[in-house]
Amino acid sequence: MVGDIGALLTGLALAVALYAAYAAWRGIHLPAAQGKDWRQSAQRATYALAALLGAALLTLLLAFLTNHFEISYVAQHSSTVIPTYLKISAVWAGQEGSLLLWCFLQALFAALATGRASEHARPLVPWATFFLALVTAFFVAVTLFLSSPFTLLAQVPLEGRGLNPLLRHPGMIFHPPALYVGYVGLAIPFAFALAALVTRQIKEWTAAIRTWTLIAWLGLGLGLLLGMRWAYDVLGWGGYWGWDPVENAGLLPWLTATALLHGAVMQEEKRGFHVWNMLLVIFSFALVLFGTFATRSGMIQSVHAYTASNLGGYFLTAIAVTLVGSLALLYAGRAALKTASANVENLLSRDGMFFLTLILFIMLTVSVLIGSLLPTLTEALGGQRFEAGPEWFDRVTGPQFAALVFVIGLCPLLGRAAATLKRVQQVRWIVIGGAVAAPVAAALAGFTDVLSLIGFALIGFAAAATLGEFVEGVITRRKRTGEAPLNALWRLLRLQRRKYGGYLVHLGVILMALGVIGTRMYPFETQMTTIANQPTVVGDYTLVFEELRRALVGDAMTVWANVAVYRNGAYMSTLQPRLSHYLDAGQTITVPALHPDVREDFYLILSGWSNDGATATFKVVINALVNFLWFGGLVFLAGGALALWPKMEHKTWNTVALVGGLALLVGAGWAMWGIPHGAVDFGSGRPLVGQPAPDFRLSTLDNQTTSLASLRGQVVVVNFWASWCPSCVDEIPALQTVWEAYRGKGVTFLGVAYQDDEAAVREALTKYGTTYPVGLDAGSRIAKQYGITGIPETFIVAPNGQVAYVHIGPISRETLAEQLDALLERP
Amino acid sequence: MQNKTTFVVAGLLIVAAVIYLIVSSTGSTAQYFVTVAELQALGDEALSRNITVSGAVLGETIDYDALGPRVTFTVVQVPADPKEVERLGGLAQVLHDAVQNPTGPRLEVIYNSVKPDLLQNEAQAIMRGKMGADGRFYADELLLKCPSRYEEDVPVQAGD
Repeated sequence: MVGDIGALLTGLALAVALYAAYAAWRGIHLPAAQGKDWRQSAQRATYALAALLGAALLTLLLAFLTNHFEISYVAQHSSTVIPTYLKISAVWAGQEGSLLLWCFLQALFAALATGRASEHARPLVPWATFFLALVTAFFVAVTLFLSSPFTLLAQVPLEGRGLNPLLRHPGMIFHPPALYVGYVGLAIPFAFALAALVTRQIKEWTAAIRTWTLIAWLGLGLGLLLGMRWAYDVLGWGGYWGWDPVENAGLLPWLTATALLHGAVMQEEKRGFHVWNMLLVIFSFALVLFGTFATRSGMIQSVHAYTASNLGGYFLTAIAVTLVGSLALLYAGRAALKTASANVENLLSRDGMFFLTLILFIMLTVSVLIGSLLPTLTEALGGQRFEAGPEWFDRVTGPQFAALVFVIGLCPLLGRAAATLKRVQQVRWIVIGGAVAAPVAAALAGFTDVLSLIGFALIGFAAAATLGEFVEGVITRRKRTGEAPLNALWRLLRLQRRKYGGYLVHLGVILMALGVIGTRMYPFETQMTTIANQPTVVGDYTLVFEELRRALVGDAMTVWANVAVYRNGAYMSTLQPRLSHYLDAGQTITVPALHPDVREDFYLILSGWSNDGATATFKVVINALVNFLWFGGLVFLAGGALALWPKMEHKTWNTVALVGGLALLVGAGWAMWGIPHGAVDFGSGRPLVGQPAPDFRLSTLDNQTTSLASLRGQVVVVNFWASWCPSCVDEIPALQTVWEAYRGKGVTFLGVAYQDDEAAVREALTKYGTTYPVGLDAGSRIAKQYGITGIPETFIVAPNGQVAYVHIGPISRETLAEQLDALLERP
Repeated sequence: MQNKTTFVVAGLLIVAAVIYLIVSSTGSTAQYFVTVAELQALGDEALSRNITVSGAVLGETIDYDALGPRVTFTVVQVPADPKEVERLGGLAQVLHDAVQNPTGPRLEVIYNSVKPDLLQNEAQAIMRGKMGADGRFYADELLLKCPSRYEEDVPVQAGD
């Protein structure tokens, strides 16, 4: 029933989309009076289309919320046990549902863009409506006939298959909708571009493109960032970007959209770039189709890929139609574009820099596209298939990204007018200072690779130039208004949102470049098998694998390791990397644990263990400077949002939007650095073997006070135990035996009773005939010093005061004697 | 006019530089992307290069030494061309048939890492690494795809 309603709504949507295209066509070609009615009808059909697809999407959501497993798509992506928020995100967890979401967003954006077009863009609306209706009709048809989320199963299963555990992450919940906002957003400037070409009203097009390009670009950027963070948190391979064709499919339209955004600014300032922008908008849209095609056709070999589906051919046809049709229109309308072109200036000017930016972004797009298609291309050219790995992409795109950072730095130096060189003279010491300080600071921090130092110099240069722009703006404003510095900055950001939003985006990119250099040029990764409680040294870090635990967490049988991590000998944190085996899905997920730091993230993955739990294998990844990447991402998004900020008259709404935006950014920051990613801080760890044993004073039950320091020169066995702990009591006879055998050989025993009361301890000592000194650990102070996590634990301190041996759990007579012998024999 | 020339020259310089980067990187870092049969046909030429090879995993050959850690297993030839795969009845069917075929070209693989969970009979393995002189393939990276579990395969990467 629900499935039928959904299918019916989708079918109606297709009819309405086709009608909207027809009505728009009639409206354009009939004489004014009649045409007006048709145009109005087309507009209403566009609204109806959005409403119908919204209803279809709601129907699917309802089917998920009420567990309608007779619908195949619901059965495959949901179950009765998953929480409600995951049922909502499951709506777009698969191809069919995500296509429906795509259709809805496309229709919604089309309705908004045509219905609320600005005064200037209005003449283009009928044609834009026509093209957008066709685009929406294509996607609705694909959804309805080839990939319907409402297909019914002949036999209704009692339970669904559940949501893929890998997708249960906030990054994955918001990643697809954000990307789709980008994809469908790019259709708007595309449709208006075609409308402008058909009607030869190029000037009108300018007003229509910027906002929608910005929305699409921001959506794509957000989607890519979320995808990167998801890969980092969930996939457990230590990285965030693998140059996989599916990742590239999202990156390609973002690159062209970025170029388009810069081109649009030039166009708005009446400085030409019309042909460039037309080409960019056409290719952006074609790349959106290509991305959809690439990930679903099986033509591009990718391990990340969806299984090859039957959609490939249709999308290939759509790409061909789009490219041939729109390029033909462009050719036909070339005259109108040419007259609109302005004079070119010097290359070392604002125009020149925008031109270089465009070229660089286009070449980056071409590079990534070639890399993604390399197996197919080389096979067609020479018969032998070659594949481009991450190394290929890093080598090809690295210098191009570096050039972009350089241009980012040049831009603020050049200013708008021709008084170019004067401005460079004013700020040269700032930018030279930045270009020198950054690599020097990096080298002092240990990043000494020559190539990376060049990168750091570029980053320092660009950062100084961009920050200089903010500083200069504030100073100028203060001179004029006398405002306090922060006040002036705030006003500046509010009044010139686009300019400073753009510069904030640049700053974000500069920060991200820092993270990319750190992770790509200073990779560190190692795999090791560790024995329980034996320290293993990895670079500056020492790892002590303590134990394995196993428990049912939610619907997953989870195994995790407790690993105490020390940095330069000082306790840092206890990490708990885990493997979760989802019982209903039959899938195992590796959940890394990580300790973030400004310099580097320590990223730990549990890869395997022996059956007795005595050894475990870990992968350690150290990601240098990676937090600059994430922080840069936040700055980037903030900048984009600032540039997009509409000039709202309503003060209340402005405040609401501002608070909401800030809350989102803070929330994202909290999700990245606020919550522990498998790290527990116990405050202190056990002293490592070879480190000085922490000194303590212990009042023993025979009313004497001993300090560890006063026992220097003797071997001291410190045993943490409690009268209420059965395994502690079990080991008392062994301790007593060894004590009696070694007490004359320069060996002292100290029993430290943990969270115990005096009467109980006295009773236990009498019962077991313990004769070595025992005292109470008031307030667990000593236990904290020694990083005790459970009892019993035994530490042997050498005559020089250093820890010689650590034992967790009950110790046997043999082990203790063996360790003492070894220590006493030591010269 | 002179200004226009500067623009064109600067643009062409960037284009030329990027073409150079692409060509040189393809020569030095691009990897052969082959099937098991094609890899064996390459012979000694395969020894010097980075190679990506794919095949169907033979379940009974999987041997895991947890302390190494080190996994060895054998893969069987499967066609790489998606159209060919489609013609033969889809990826799951092709993998199933390959494992049943006693005469299909085989390749022994050594992977010095922990055994991925998805390494199981009839999984599609894509391996990146180098061919050893002993005729075995030393994988640095192992990527696995099990077509049956989820309608859509999600990213699965196992170390490198």
